[in-house]
Amino acid sequence: MSTKLPWDWYDGTIPANVAIHDEAYVETSFSFHLYRSEADVGVRYARGAHTYLGTMFDVGPRGRVRLGEYALVHGARIICDDRVEIGDHAMLSWNVVVMDAYRVPRDAARRRELVRRLPEATPRALAPDGNARAVIIESNAWIGFDACVLPGVTVGRGSIVGARSVVRDDVPPYTVVTGNPARVIRTLEPPA
Amino acid sequence: MSVEVDHPPNVSLGEGTVINGDLAFKRFQSRVEPVALSVGSGCTMDGVHFDLGAEARVSVGDHCYFTNAVLLAELEIRIGSCVVIGWNATIADTDFHPIAPAERIADAIACSPASDGRPRPVVVRRPVVIEDDVWVGPATTILKGVTIGAGAFIEPGTVVSADVPPRARVIGNPAQVVGEV
Repeated sequence: MSTKLPWDWYDGTIPANVAIHDEAYVETSFSFHLYRSEADVGVRYARGAHTYLGTMFDVGPRGRVRLGEYALVHGARIICDDRVEIGDHAMLSWNVVVMDAYRVPRDAARRRELVRRLPEATPRALAPDGNARAVIIESNAWIGFDACVLPGVTVGRGSIVGARSVVRDDVPPYTVVTGNPARVIRTLEPPA
Repeated sequence: MSVEVDHPPNVSLGEGTVINGDLAFKRFQSRVEPVALSVGSGCTMDGVHFDLGAEARVSVGDHCYFTNAVLLAELEIRIGSCVVIGWNATIADTDFHPIAPAERIADAIACSPASDGRPRPVVVRRPVVIEDDVWVGPATTILKGVTIGAGAFIEPGTVVSADVPPRARVIGNPAQVVGEV
């Protein structure tokens, strides 16, 4: 059963297949206005996970998103047609884009066919393209504002992605990457 | 699901076009008559900001799909048909302020409500043209005077400050052509 949040400014509901731990926090159901997952659990919030205004779960019919314990998502667009994992204590800043699929073919003629059919879709959003590749943000990673994390990428445990970076390749654990395309600029000391 | 918004009188929308989001026209100041903004048919403008200055014109063709794009126009932005623009992309036909330091001081003063309407220095404006079938990825930036050729594929996060040939695939800051689609 879909539920309303007592504190919500938006007149919407949390879909029935979103699992929210009793000690997790969802600021607004607006985050789900493009959500259309038909998975058993389309988004799962672990204990202490928290999402705020501007966070958008643009999740397709087969998409599954998991937010680990105390994961913080402060206004990211999560475009998911397969799987997006946000690890324990990971932090996503404002306007971050995490996408496991482009949803459009590179071929312009095929793309044109997709967008011409868009007015028939409810909600008006592109269908999955079948080429999604899971994105994994491991625990304790931190994604700076306006950064993009592209399909198939794993950001390693404890790593930092600098603001406005575009990450096309895996980031090793305890590493700082910046730039477009993102490159390693230093390494970090793992916790003792 | 989403709320369609009222629009100013000098906005023309084609059949089956949907514009939603509270911020669509919050900074729409164009006085161009009869039509400052035209959007063709079958378009989906989800959370787009149409930020048009007093003299700005923006045209969008048919069957376009924009999500949370920010269009900043002081002169002209011309977008073809079947163009897709991803989340949080910004398109601007001006830098809004002059390059020269002294002129920027004058502009900062002229822009302030405290300056009693003193005229601003001349600021460069150059039209942005995005041709048919272009894909503009999320978090991209497209700057003044740029023409993006038909069918081009602008990867997420790219900063485009020079023309992009038709069917080119571009990446990076500054944008570099990495192949054809």
